[in-house]
Amino acid sequence: MDCKEAVEKLYLYLDGEILTPQERKDFEEHIKTCRKCCEKFEFEKNLWNLIKSKCIDTPVPATLITKVITVINSF
Amino acid sequence: MDKTKDQQKKLFQELLMPELGALFRTALRMTRNREDAEDLVQETTTKAFSAFDRFEKGTNFRAWIFKILTNTFINNYYRVRDRDKLPSLDEMEEESLFQPVFEGISPEQALLNTLTKEDIQKAIDVIPIDFKSVVILNLVEGFSYKETAEILDIPIGTVMSRLHRGRKILQKLLWEYSSSKNSFVEKGTEEEWTAKKQ
Repeated sequence: MDCKEAVEKLYLYLDGEILTPQERKDFEEHIKTCRKCCEKFEFEKNLWNLIKSKCIDTPVPATLITKVITVINSF
Repeated sequence: MDKTKDQQKKLFQELLMPELGALFRTALRMTRNREDAEDLVQETTTKAFSAFDRFEKGTNFRAWIFKILTNTFINNYYRVRDRDKLPSLDEMEEESLFQPVFEGISPEQALLNTLTKEDIQKAIDVIPIDFKSVVILNLVEGFSYKETAEILDIPIGTVMSRLHRGRKILQKLLWEYSSSKNSFVEKGTEEEWTAKKQ
């Protein structure tokens, strides 16, 4: 796998999607041997993990829990 | 007392409660307003329970209720005029000309170090709804491409292209927010910056 192909496959790899076991293996081999792609991969992985962790850190308002239970009990 | 109805309520509540946080934060990013987000989740709950007898037990409740949430948002909350408040897509997708300069650490690490929850929420809020839905469902809530496609009623190829562009837009916005926090900012193309780093 060359750098162009690795960049094309990067998000599919990160998302755990579509790639065949062989494609995943080829991608991992390329990342191990190419510093530039490895840096890009680490940055993308850390960025999207950071975005996810910041986004899920939103507490549910107590008022909403009450409202939802009221809705269910109204049926 | 209607025992079947009570059992249905109990089962529905057991399935719904673990998803309430995810439904609320998704509603919040879509409506950009806490009050509307609570109303949207409440309305979603009403619709979902009304249709619960048609839900096939043992199938993906999470995807099912997110589909109801996104449909309710598009039908009842999203106004086309909201598009006018956003920068154009071309503007958002332009390659960023700014890269922050930092002592001792890479710009990528600096970006990761300086990004706050508010920066990320502000950036997601600005993305056009078609891209935002895919970004939230796939990247934040962890739905697969296939599940995202089913929730939004679009082909998988469309999920992939919207996700790609959504990521690009989000990254550009985050670079800009990060740059604006640092006084040492210089203009240059990505190639010039890469060359400088080496």
